[in-house]
Amino acid sequence: MIKIVKRDQPSRAIFFLTPILAIFLTLVAGGLIFYILGFKPFEALKFFFIVPIADKYGFSELLLKATPLCLIAIGLSFCFKSNNWNIGAEGQLTFGAIVSGGVALLFYEQEGFYILPIVILAGAIGGMLYASIPAILKTYFNTNEILVSLMLVYVSKLILDYLVVGPWSNPEGFNFPETRQFSDSARLPLLFEGLRIHAGIFLALASVVISWFVFYKTYLGFQMKVSGFSLKTAKYAGYKGKKMIILVFLISGACAGLAGVGEITGPIGQLHREVSPDYGFTAIIVAFLGRLHPVGIIFASLVVAITYLGAETAQIFMQIPKYTGQVFQGMILFFLLASDYLLFFKFKFIGSKK
Amino acid sequence: MNTNLKISNVTKIYPGCVANDNVSLEFNSGKIYALLGENGAGKSTLVKILSGVIIPDEGKIYLNENNLKLNSPLDAKKNDIGMVFQHFNLFETLSVFENLIIDSDEERESLREKIDSIMKKYNFSIDLDIPVLNLSAGQKQKVEIIRCLIRNPKVLIMDEPTSVLTEQETSELFLSLKKFSEEGILIIYITHKLKEVMELCDEVAVMRRGKLVSVSEIKNENIESLANKMVGQNLKTIRKKKEKTSSDQLINIINLNFISEDPFETNLSDINFSVNRGECLGIAGISGNGQSELFQVLSGEIISDKNSIEFNKNYIGDLNPQERREYLMAFSPEDRLEQAAIPQMAIFENVALNNFKSSNFFNNGLINENKIKEHSKKIISDFNVNTDNIELKSQFLSGGNLQKLIIGRELITSPDLLICFNPTWGLDVGAINYIHETLIKINEQNKSIILISTDTDELLKLSDKISVIHKGKLSKIMNADEVTSEKLGILMGGGN
Repeated sequence: MIKIVKRDQPSRAIFFLTPILAIFLTLVAGGLIFYILGFKPFEALKFFFIVPIADKYGFSELLLKATPLCLIAIGLSFCFKSNNWNIGAEGQLTFGAIVSGGVALLFYEQEGFYILPIVILAGAIGGMLYASIPAILKTYFNTNEILVSLMLVYVSKLILDYLVVGPWSNPEGFNFPETRQFSDSARLPLLFEGLRIHAGIFLALASVVISWFVFYKTYLGFQMKVSGFSLKTAKYAGYKGKKMIILVFLISGACAGLAGVGEITGPIGQLHREVSPDYGFTAIIVAFLGRLHPVGIIFASLVVAITYLGAETAQIFMQIPKYTGQVFQGMILFFLLASDYLLFFKFKFIGSKK
Repeated sequence: MNTNLKISNVTKIYPGCVANDNVSLEFNSGKIYALLGENGAGKSTLVKILSGVIIPDEGKIYLNENNLKLNSPLDAKKNDIGMVFQHFNLFETLSVFENLIIDSDEERESLREKIDSIMKKYNFSIDLDIPVLNLSAGQKQKVEIIRCLIRNPKVLIMDEPTSVLTEQETSELFLSLKKFSEEGILIIYITHKLKEVMELCDEVAVMRRGKLVSVSEIKNENIESLANKMVGQNLKTIRKKKEKTSSDQLINIINLNFISEDPFETNLSDINFSVNRGECLGIAGISGNGQSELFQVLSGEIISDKNSIEFNKNYIGDLNPQERREYLMAFSPEDRLEQAAIPQMAIFENVALNNFKSSNFFNNGLINENKIKEHSKKIISDFNVNTDNIELKSQFLSGGNLQKLIIGRELITSPDLLICFNPTWGLDVGAINYIHETLIKINEQNKSIILISTDTDELLKLSDKISVIHKGKLSKIMNADEVTSEKLGILMGGGN
């Protein structure tokens, strides 16, 4: 007989093992789906997870996709650790891209070392502004941040749509929905000749280090943590709980905005309709898969980035729709949440009684 | 007709705890039975099994020799078992009558007659056509009882019914219960209040840690013997030495008012009192009469007029809790798990919530973890917190240990004044004793206490002076040795 027993204390080892278990289960379930669709499971999984990163170019693409995921997830970890459910990072990314893109267009055909920092800063500010909307509505009007932040995603995408089709569209662009190319001074430098990986990866790594330091080592981080768990406790301790909520949203928005900067000033170098293939939503999965821990998020962003690449490879070589990638992302989250059960309960095998 | 209810070998296991361990009990109508035990003893699980809310893992229930299958509360109702829960299950915005008929399929007119005759018979006077939210707690309870009586129950289970009642309402309830019992309804009364058991019941079953400890007749028991059975150890009684307190004034509240924007909060009006050094001022009252608001105003969670609070010759009404702590005030809020501590954080992190500048927990914005841990270890050993792992999340401490940690955290900085709100709420007798001893000790060190509590016995035991809060107003301050619990009861109910 199998008995389910509650653990006295959530297991720390299991805490870090369940993400790995979730990935394993995702592979098994994915293989099964491929089998049902009539593919050889191992071959399909190979196309999905190994072929895309087998060469230098593939690896660079992996880092390219992981960069925004990691950046956004780090920002989200501030929100999630303090129980603020910002799920509108996609909108903050888009708005960050709009603001930084607008600034980059202002410097059209100008050169200067000062341009890139201004463009980057503009993106962060744009993300912060956009994240401040759900934050302020939540703290002062008791609205639900999940709804507000989610709805604002669609608003920002429509604004972007309007801009690239209308006032900001490239005059010489044959009515394609895109802006002019930014000047070289407004673009994040590429790191290697012939590869698309760009300097945005340093922004992501810096965010990892800074977030770890702030959250685990500073009084500010402690106050954010307390305010997130309980505003009543924060008030009792004498912290400014509402300010803390707004602060975590701003941090999160800034990170998403920076991810938006990376997307438009990196390899692409212009604003267009699809600045992000839902990085803002996928980063939610990354944040949880990485257990909201900076180091965990690095690994999680790499794992989830593969699903983007794998989906493309699978579409080319196996004629499977690239949305399979989202199926895999969904499965990872599903199995992660399911295996969290093991954090609090364990199975006990006992000899049959009676 | 005689009713016989038999619980036979009932076991209910939850992950990590055996809530009911092979419990067998028998009840007969004509008597009032007490089911006595501390929080977590398994009483509630047992009555939830009887009322169909919980399905037991093993065991059977018989009513007049019939084996009952209680898979839902509806099954219990169909089998003539009525239950009044501690927390009312009423629709506040519906009228009393609508609440009463909501689960009945009889016709309205005949029900109305039936309800009228029940009310007449037991001397209940409630307007059936006003919304429930206008009723007092005692009246709401009567509505719940009538709802059971409509179905002519054979068994009526009352789960800690007096926790929200005044003394007067309690004695009215007891009269009604005795009447029901005379009419042949079997009454099971769940409580952890010993005095009530002695006053009301004929037989008492004591539970401890999921097990049935004893069944006996009340006439063979007294409060001490029941307390010992309930706790499982011999308790020493503590009493405060009444000494002459100093006349050195420590805190003075002057014309303090608080008007809330939240309709569910109570406004405070014209609060005036002072506390001398070495003195304990008790503030009694039924919960929801402004205690929580008073605590928040005193702690600085709600900021008031600067001049409304004078502490140690400083005006501090406009300071937040952290700033007030620098003036040597300390606070222990009512809600241990949602306010005073964060269950998901480690013990030492919870200690850092009380942050004095001089304790150096945070230097230049950075966390000084070693300092906090050192401090935490001291609290754990000085205040008998039963663990040696300060990295443990505080949710794994029992209520008593968590409260010791909180009181310890507040006291280790040796404040001049401790303000505590229901410090022993929901604790077992051992932990209550420890907290009481600690509070007496700080009075002896010439430090002061403001004790806001809904437990009258606790107030009478610890206070030098007592005042009662009713609808946001304080009664005049009385010397504790001139006050009886009856008098407090009248004041708590709004009388004079």
